[in-house]
Amino acid sequence: MPDAISLRTTAKSGEAKASSRATLADPRRATRLVLAIFLGPALLVYCGLTAYPAFRTIYDSFFTIEGMDATFVGLANYRDLMGDETFWVAVRNTFIWSFVAPVIDVATGLLLALALYAGVPFARFLRVAWFTPVLLSYVVVAILWMWIYNYDWGVLNVMLRAVGLGDLASSWLGDPNLALAAVIVTHAWKWAGFNMVVCLAAIHSLPKEVLEASDLDNCGWGAKLRYIIVPMLRPTLLSLYILSFIGKMKVFDLVWIMTQGGPLWATETVSTYVYKRAFNWNTFDLGYPSAIATVWFLVVCAAVIILNRVLGSRERLEY
Amino acid sequence: MAVVKLDKIVKRYGGGGPVVVEDVDLTIDDGEFMVLLGPSGCGKSTTLRMIAGLESISGGTLSIDGRVVNDVPAKDRDIAMVFQSYALYPHMSVADNLAFGLRRRSIPGGEIERRVKEVAAILGLAPLLARKPSALSGGQRQRVALGRAMVREPQVFLFDEPLSNLDAALRVNTRSEIIKQHHRLGSTMIYVTHDQVEAMTMGTRICVMNAGKVAQIGAPLDVYWQPANTFVARFLGSPPMNLMDATLTAATRRASSPALDAPLARWSDGVLQARDGRKVTLGVRAEDMAIDPAALDGAPGGRVTGRTIAVEPLGAETLLLLELPGGGEITARLPRHVTAAPDQEVELFFRADAAYLFDVETGDAIAPLETGAAAVRAAVQRRTH
Amino acid sequence: MAAFLAAASGRAPLPRLFSRGILALVLGVYTIYQLGPFLWLATMSVRTTAEISADPYAWPSPMHLDQFRTAWVDSDFATYFWNSTMVVVGAVAVLTFIGAAAAHALARYRFRGNRLIYGILFSSIIFPPQITLISLYQILVDYNLYNSLFGLALVYISLQLPLTVYLLEGFFARIPQDLFDAAKMDGYGDLEIFWRIVLPVGMPAIATTLILNFIQLWNEFLFAVVLITDPDKRTLPIGIRAFMGDHFQDIGMIATGVMISVIPVIVVYVFFSEKLIRGMTAGAIK
Repeated sequence: MPDAISLRTTAKSGEAKASSRATLADPRRATRLVLAIFLGPALLVYCGLTAYPAFRTIYDSFFTIEGMDATFVGLANYRDLMGDETFWVAVRNTFIWSFVAPVIDVATGLLLALALYAGVPFARFLRVAWFTPVLLSYVVVAILWMWIYNYDWGVLNVMLRAVGLGDLASSWLGDPNLALAAVIVTHAWKWAGFNMVVCLAAIHSLPKEVLEASDLDNCGWGAKLRYIIVPMLRPTLLSLYILSFIGKMKVFDLVWIMTQGGPLWATETVSTYVYKRAFNWNTFDLGYPSAIATVWFLVVCAAVIILNRVLGSRERLEY
Repeated sequence: MAVVKLDKIVKRYGGGGPVVVEDVDLTIDDGEFMVLLGPSGCGKSTTLRMIAGLESISGGTLSIDGRVVNDVPAKDRDIAMVFQSYALYPHMSVADNLAFGLRRRSIPGGEIERRVKEVAAILGLAPLLARKPSALSGGQRQRVALGRAMVREPQVFLFDEPLSNLDAALRVNTRSEIIKQHHRLGSTMIYVTHDQVEAMTMGTRICVMNAGKVAQIGAPLDVYWQPANTFVARFLGSPPMNLMDATLTAATRRASSPALDAPLARWSDGVLQARDGRKVTLGVRAEDMAIDPAALDGAPGGRVTGRTIAVEPLGAETLLLLELPGGGEITARLPRHVTAAPDQEVELFFRADAAYLFDVETGDAIAPLETGAAAVRAAVQRRTH
Repeated sequence: MAAFLAAASGRAPLPRLFSRGILALVLGVYTIYQLGPFLWLATMSVRTTAEISADPYAWPSPMHLDQFRTAWVDSDFATYFWNSTMVVVGAVAVLTFIGAAAAHALARYRFRGNRLIYGILFSSIIFPPQITLISLYQILVDYNLYNSLFGLALVYISLQLPLTVYLLEGFFARIPQDLFDAAKMDGYGDLEIFWRIVLPVGMPAIATTLILNFIQLWNEFLFAVVLITDPDKRTLPIGIRAFMGDHFQDIGMIATGVMISVIPVIVVYVFFSEKLIRGMTAGAIK
């Protein structure tokens, strides 16, 4: 296999050149050898550890793989998948998360950025402070929030009881009706700072004259936001939405550590379900999870393309 | 000794792509300061980059001192170049920038140090040697770029619009600095610019380029006084030469139109006869136009009449823009006291020897005397009469 | 903070003062919401589980710094820490080199297939990890790289490669071509130009991707949990998770372990906060 990969690599980088004379003179051209040296390692890693595994997963999805034995089963895995209720629950949860949560993400990000832009004191400190959760690993975030949601001594219930709303105290991660929302809130907490920083940078790059002109037009803050800032930030907000969407479609770590998809599949996502079927259940078949992964891969690609088309179709604003 | 010779040089992008430089023939003599002048996109920079070895040559031969260097890599052509953006290495000190090109050439360390010190002293860079380029002013960066070329002691210096990033005052200073270094070193220099003032003041010869071709080569004033075609006539000179449509009458030796009447004193009978009754383009420079007929000293001169579009008093002089009845605009450079009301009819005068004639179709200048086959024919005709 | 605001806008009309006050209150509460959990974690990491059980929200007194020693020595967090360090530092070092080389080739040279290669690398940023996860598990088993830190580092290189190339390509493409022309005329070859011009000039961008990759791989969980089972080879994220599985009630020790994994990130953040924020957000803003 490694031989095949390196052959492919040289073939690819070898397409590079026109004639030796052109290569010699034009500084924007390089010999095959030079290109191979620069691109070879990266392409080798990419082909060997990204492209090949991806193709192998798609290939495997037509087999039942138990240990060393692979049995061709055609589309059986996909047929089973259609009737797999847990899979559909996972899809539903992931879609809810992927379409709803990015709205929360982008909206909080924008509002926080506006607050900093409006000129609060300590803005620099707040920016750095709010960004901190972005850097924490999902493991850390998950553990922290499991404690925050703890029924007996978690911050949330303690506060509810303190203000006399003890009846509302619940087992946030243990109640199938609440668990998904609880995990979504945790995820939003982690990423709010990221969206804020991106929005803030975008607001700062807006042309000052336009905002000043709107002041002269006697725009209030609300009108300014509604008619000037949001339309002009549209491209940034859209790419943030798509970025957030992609993140949600992949989400695994947080759910796995906080709830393992439970209770009663209430927080099951496609990622956790693939993991369970491949490595956690004693089903010993890698073919079926490969089929799920393949389907999901196609869904993510299609969703990103469609979102790009639908949201990005209107002309970008010129200013 | 370094003669750079371009023989039918062609640059084409891709296999059948557009031709950006076409059949350029140009010989730059040893120690000459050759300016490649033209508007942006005329192929002058591409030509320079081909000489430098930064661009492949699609056709023709490039030789330096008789050695064909088409396939010689840039580093082995013994050429140094000063870039428009200076291209100083931002992470190196001035001293390292100067030395960087020498380190590659197996020159002993002591020699490198000597040359860097010498050039730094010549260009006044000595106090700046330890600084990074980001800590230098635009003019200082420009001098480092020049110095980096000088330490190499190359056979040929190339300059690619080196002054265009400087402000006006610095540009004048640096211009004289480069001229000074040219006199001191006596090396061959090739200088690309779109600025006619730089071309006129710096070049021993100018090569005017247009649309990938050589429009004219010659000493600055020769090119100015004897433009080979309408392109050169308009590109050199500010405001550009006025071009007016006229019909030639050989019998009266005049070019005329409803607005215009000019005697053609400089041209031989043969030349005029050959174009009798045909349309020609008459050219007169703005500074040769006068509003006072006394400027003609009583000699027969030309006249042109138009309506005022604008009067632009510049202080030292006044520009008068006229619209001709048959269409077309002309500009006259007049003494500062001249005034005119808008839309007023104005008559301007010019000396007969200030007029140029150009072919309407090709735009080529019509020479006062016949050349080539036409000249022989005319001479034979004259003898038989 | 509200007091500060009121003082700052002392002569402002009352409604304005009021709205400023509300804003300050909201921002204050929000800051507590974002930072509070982390500070709470920090207090718990220097308290014993018994103390925490008595009152989870008390100020640590006395500070049990020996918790860290216990976690480090007795609870294997030292092993996890050094495993993480080796894998991440190794992967980031290699990643930076091959990513920079590829980014330079794609940004600088014209050759057929350039944009195709770039597009393929770039598009894999959106791939869900599962598409490679299962096969990578099989491949590493086939090549005896399963359960090995070296194998995990290789996988980490491939995970971060597309983003690294993408970020560096964008930066390298902005280095003016004149610089390369000048170096070429000075007699330097393609490899030397990369070494002597691109790497030093691109250092700010390289540092940004370096820090970004460090943080992301330091926090990586999914591939580690699939590809490492041997307790001696656990990285911090899966080590913490395993510890939590075994000692679910030992809140104090878990908090200490979590702090051990967070401290390097915080240290990096304190020194390079601007670079890091820029790096994290570079992909989103074009």
